[in-house]
Amino acid sequence: MQDTILKIEHISKFYPGVTALNDVSFEIKKGEVRALCGENGAGKSTLIKCIMGVEKPDEGKISMNYDGKWIVNTSALEAQEHGVYANYQNVNIAPDLSIAENYFLGRQPTKGGIVDWRGMTEESKKIIDKFGMNIDPNEKIRDLPIAMQAMVTISKISVNDDIRIVIFDEPTALLENEKVETLFKFIKELKEKGVSIIYISHRMEEIMDICDSVTVLKDGTYVDTKPISEVDKDSLITMMVGRKMSDIYNIKHQSFDEEVLRVENFSDTKHFKDVSFSLKKGEILGFFGLVGAGRSEVMKALFGAEKRLSGDVYVHGEKKKITSPTDAMKNGICFLTEDRRADGLALQLSIKTNINMNSYDMISKNGVISLSKEQKRAEKFSKDVNVKTPSVQQLVGNLSGGNQQKVVIAKLLCRDPEVMIFDEPTVGVDVGAKEEIYKIMESLTAQGKSIILISSYLPEVMGLSDRLIVMSQGRITGQFESNELKLLREEDVLRSASMEG
Amino acid sequence: MSNTIKSGNSKLGGVFKQTEFTLAAIIILLFIIASVFTNNFFSLYNITNLTKQCAIVGVLAVAQTMIIITGGIDISCGAIAGLSCMVMALLQRDTGTNFWITLLIAVAVGIFCGFINGVIIYDLKVPPMIATLGVQTIVSGVVKIISNALTVSGLDQRILDMGNMSFFGVLPALALIWFIVAVAIFLVLKYLVFGRSLYIIGSGVEVAKLSGIKVRKMFYSVYAFAGLLYGIAGIMLAARVQSALPTGGEGYEMNAIAAAVIGGASLSGGRGSIVGTVLGTILMMLINNAGVQFGLNTHVLELTSGVLIVFAVAADMFKNRKKA
Repeated sequence: MQDTILKIEHISKFYPGVTALNDVSFEIKKGEVRALCGENGAGKSTLIKCIMGVEKPDEGKISMNYDGKWIVNTSALEAQEHGVYANYQNVNIAPDLSIAENYFLGRQPTKGGIVDWRGMTEESKKIIDKFGMNIDPNEKIRDLPIAMQAMVTISKISVNDDIRIVIFDEPTALLENEKVETLFKFIKELKEKGVSIIYISHRMEEIMDICDSVTVLKDGTYVDTKPISEVDKDSLITMMVGRKMSDIYNIKHQSFDEEVLRVENFSDTKHFKDVSFSLKKGEILGFFGLVGAGRSEVMKALFGAEKRLSGDVYVHGEKKKITSPTDAMKNGICFLTEDRRADGLALQLSIKTNINMNSYDMISKNGVISLSKEQKRAEKFSKDVNVKTPSVQQLVGNLSGGNQQKVVIAKLLCRDPEVMIFDEPTVGVDVGAKEEIYKIMESLTAQGKSIILISSYLPEVMGLSDRLIVMSQGRITGQFESNELKLLREEDVLRSASMEG
Repeated sequence: MSNTIKSGNSKLGGVFKQTEFTLAAIIILLFIIASVFTNNFFSLYNITNLTKQCAIVGVLAVAQTMIIITGGIDISCGAIAGLSCMVMALLQRDTGTNFWITLLIAVAVGIFCGFINGVIIYDLKVPPMIATLGVQTIVSGVVKIISNALTVSGLDQRILDMGNMSFFGVLPALALIWFIVAVAIFLVLKYLVFGRSLYIIGSGVEVAKLSGIKVRKMFYSVYAFAGLLYGIAGIMLAARVQSALPTGGEGYEMNAIAAAVIGGASLSGGRGSIVGTVLGTILMMLINNAGVQFGLNTHVLELTSGVLIVFAVAADMFKNRKKA
């Protein structure tokens, strides 16, 4: 079992102005689950692209032990032919094809030259059952929730016969806990078959759970590789960021009593029913739930982006009519969406435009924009949230995940809102940027702003919230006050989250 | 390493300006070559003729740029210009309608057709390419029905004069209208919330909605606004041809789209500039004009334009790929 399967030797990769990888060397053994850690921009994605043959390293060599022969994969196709598969960070499947078609893309089973649809559906059903997904194999990917799409891409790997190396890039970023378990079971199963795994995640607990060893990259250079038994969460973070961070959720909380927002009896046709809650000034109100619990839907309805059947919104005790995002923003409510790349940012536009995007009414007169104000506000707010960029003319698509998220926050701040809804604000964001986002939240509440925090990551939502509301199947199934939160165990929250609604 | 800050200032911003710079350089080069190596290119008559050739396509291309920025495309632009032209011509020949009213009606016809485009695209969810292809076909049919497929002459003298008029003997009225339209839309894109919203919609309709942009209203307005410009182009068409043809405006859409794309507008939306489009228009027309002066077969020139379009779109896609 202890043969080396992958040898990475002195790999360097240069992009214009950036050294993505600098003389990185390490090896991976057969049947080993290796965590690859590092902040965003540490070079993990580039390294994976090199392993997959998608990118060619400028220096060095990556070779693979293929039945005793050392070979180099020069294209993604070649890598796949040799049993190397990757599950990329951004879901990459054909959205308009069905689940079954995606599973068998390019390798459809045929009967006499004609695609064997029934066989394909049956095979797909088996995979779906194995991964506990409870979906129809003929459903189109586009119609699935994003968490389910992520699960499909993961389960797609199991369709292949000759699997030797599998790379998971942030596979759990979009998954709820129960599915994470399924994924781990799959990884263990692969490992038993002698498959080597490279596992990338920002979640330390996961790495401790399932990996045998960990390799840390920092700023494109190799830091160290250690057996998992020799590291703990803190020492890992220290290796990654170069400093110690004992508790990143430790932020200052405000005392509060004045109610800013009250939601009463929100219901729609299928996602949520009878949801009521109130939010106080300076409070961080956490919302936890499994995927499909209806948290995001409630918030979208509150923001006026989705329709609701019934329910009222009170701002400072006064009933308000909110039926569009414009109404919501006029009443001081802003929304940071779950999927920043799709709904939150215009990736091919500049930081400047993105920051000002929802507040042009505030810097224009009769529809004419004040360019100087636009520039000034972009500079001020990007500085306030510490967006790392040489200029606000930079295109948002060129920024790292953490910096993109900070641009979204800056965009909300532009409206000087009283209530900010953060839907999964730290998905796909590295530890350093996460901590910065938490600090921003801290300073916002200190200024008297209130935050509704939706997160599927329990330590985060439990660690940051003043109060926690748990939803399941569209209803509120649990509420925990601040004095209870400190003693709360994750199991208690999970129990509420999996209650029948 | 898609998630690292790329070197220096906005790299794509650089490429963007580079497109315009490159276009200007090619235009100047072509201009010099044509001037030196042909007898008739560098003459007052030919140069003013060239600007006249540019003017109508130029106005359509500017309108097209706004639509392409939203991620759409409008194939009906030439046909709508043709309809505006024909309606105006018929009114002037057959009725005693006040001259200025006929102009207003021509523009109103354009606005109406553009608005219909907007409704089909936003409310009926028909992809812009198909929606406007449909409208193009319908409008072409209408033009032939109302004109009995016959050329309509007997236009108001002021229209005929406009086609021949030049300021200071060098600046044709048609070219002046083109410049005014281009400058106006340049300012709209730069200074108005309306213009900025077009770019945001082109980057993502969902993003725009959540930013409080009234997307439905924007779709109606941008197509109707483009329609207004098609109406103006229709009037210019009448002035240039000195009559209204039942096939008026046909084929202009390809040149207009090509000019916008060559000028750097991205068919995937979110990118495009008026300076680029104006240069793109000039380049397209210059190739044709200079080609004729060199005695090249017009069919060969058509082929050349096609190649140019394919290259421009491929370059855009390459840029997008590099970004991703």
